[in-house]
Amino acid sequence: MLINARKIKSGSGSGKAVVCSCPLSLLGGVDTSTGKIQDAECESKGLSISNRVLCFPFGKGSTVGSYALYQLKINNMAPSAIINESAEPIIATGAIISDIPMVDGVDISLLRTGDSIVVEADDSCVNLPDVIEKHVVTNIVRRDRKILLLRRSPRVGSYRGLWAGVSGFIEPGESDDAAARREMEEEIGTGKVKLVRKTGAVRFRDSDTVWCVHPYLFDMPAGKITIDWEHESFEWVSPKDVSRYPTVPGLQQVVYKLIGD
Amino acid sequence: MHLNRDEECILAGEEGHGRQKAMELLVALGDIYGAKRLIPISSAQVSGASFKTIGDAGILFLEDFSQKARVSVRASLNPLGLDLKRWRSMGVDEDFHSKQARIVRAYSALKAEPLYTCTPYLAGNRPRKGQHLAWAESSATVFANSYLGAMTNREGGPSALAAAIIGKTAEYGLHLSENRKPRLRIEIESIPEGLVPLAGYVVGKVAGKRIPYIEGLDLSADEHKAFGAAMAATGAVSMYVYSGKRDGRRIDVSQIEETIPLPASELTECSQSLSGDSEWDLVALGCPHCSPSELRSMAKFLKGRKPRASSDVWFCTSRHAFASCPREVATLRKFGKVLCDTCMVVSPIEKMYKSTASDSGKAMVYLPTLGKQRASFRPTRALLEAISC
Repeated sequence: MLINARKIKSGSGSGKAVVCSCPLSLLGGVDTSTGKIQDAECESKGLSISNRVLCFPFGKGSTVGSYALYQLKINNMAPSAIINESAEPIIATGAIISDIPMVDGVDISLLRTGDSIVVEADDSCVNLPDVIEKHVVTNIVRRDRKILLLRRSPRVGSYRGLWAGVSGFIEPGESDDAAARREMEEEIGTGKVKLVRKTGAVRFRDSDTVWCVHPYLFDMPAGKITIDWEHESFEWVSPKDVSRYPTVPGLQQVVYKLIGD
Repeated sequence: MHLNRDEECILAGEEGHGRQKAMELLVALGDIYGAKRLIPISSAQVSGASFKTIGDAGILFLEDFSQKARVSVRASLNPLGLDLKRWRSMGVDEDFHSKQARIVRAYSALKAEPLYTCTPYLAGNRPRKGQHLAWAESSATVFANSYLGAMTNREGGPSALAAAIIGKTAEYGLHLSENRKPRLRIEIESIPEGLVPLAGYVVGKVAGKRIPYIEGLDLSADEHKAFGAAMAATGAVSMYVYSGKRDGRRIDVSQIEETIPLPASELTECSQSLSGDSEWDLVALGCPHCSPSELRSMAKFLKGRKPRASSDVWFCTSRHAFASCPREVATLRKFGKVLCDTCMVVSPIEKMYKSTASDSGKAMVYLPTLGKQRASFRPTRALLEAISC
């Protein structure tokens, strides 16, 4: 999977990822002689960042943190590359003076400790060769302030028994709009719906897959729902009750993005 | 960020690795802050000169960098961790001195100006109104923006050095006049005698990231120096806007979103909360470095009095001010050490003392953290009385 990123320090670097989901201070947060993370609040505490791709949202703490990165480099304990969500001056300065390739603009929640990662700062991208990105549409169908949830059948390939919107893969060569319409015909047996809005894609990680979900909201004031083999039942549900259903990952986020609270 | 042809060449490494690295740093910071271009600077003030603040990694970085680059505009240096002449009598050890000497050599090779003061504007590097700078020292930055009307962001040590090497900085933040308008009004009732630094201390806490406007702030240049230093130590903003009672300056108040009253009682309470110990290992004056007029007024007060040897005393100043006041320095020396090139914030004070009193609001922030001291605030006059009789 390729992720677009912004170059902060040129160069390329690769290795296994070490991910910290919280802001990290390099002064005190990392032992510069062993390269091990010692920040008690970090889930990767005790892991070495040496020759790994260090991934965290952004830096915090003392400006002397730039020199801590330089000290790691001199001790041969530096990360092979750095990925941030949004770079700030301390880490950016440290990466530049220490010649450590660095990018930002990457959603850290898509990365897992142990992922193989190649950072190509000059090409403004990050490659995760073992992670596959799958593009799907998720249509939320609305009627009388309720939305349609469908329970996935035991015969489908993934997320059996969980509740979902009208969803499916975008086929090769197909536009996301066309896929959204096609899935309506296939899964609920009608195209007589009115597109209310679509929003930007939502990405989330599930094992070795990153699902890139394209959310659509349709109004369907009347008409019969005819489900196909992919689902075993359906229900009209108030948006605020979605959280009470066992759903496919990310569904709540999609509903929130389309409808709000 | 848009770069011109010359800048692109530097970034591509055509003028060597050192200038390339400096340019990379400017471009990256410019991109992070959304700058559109680089602009020329009149001078730089480079922090990170004391071994205490930059450590072994800082030495190695500077030694490596100094073989590859030179500054191209005036670039004065922040205080060191010791007085280059009196370091032994200060109590600094050989190891610290030898490491500090390596930093001095590296900066010398980089052709930075060895002013070793946080008050370059009192030591020859005084910017004019409207000039763009890349200054790192927070107390100097706030003085330059607020009192002198120059324009600078609060740079980090490496970014100020990079700007000095290229002679430019990225145009964002306080380099743009639309970002220099106050967003907060602070109504100071009155400032009790000797508590100007604490007014800055409280204003910095209240202002946070917003530029404050203080009406009727009638301070001397020395008082602005102390006020701004404390404000920049407790707050994240490197500028305040003020008007004196009679100067009739026109202030653009269109961006002000809040007014906060600051009663004199709050300053008295702040003074009490920072009062600390009643006896101290060290009394340290001169944060920021004493100006010649401060040296003169302290010498005037102490002349004819006798030293009381209850604590060590440091008067910290720039070598420039020191040289301009030989008689006053001779007087002050009867009461303590007059130190140049360094101060209580960036010297290894924790190896020598445990409890320090100062008249500086800025020092109240850094003495307990960087200096590991029990810190006690006293007005200047109270400290002069405490060290003499």
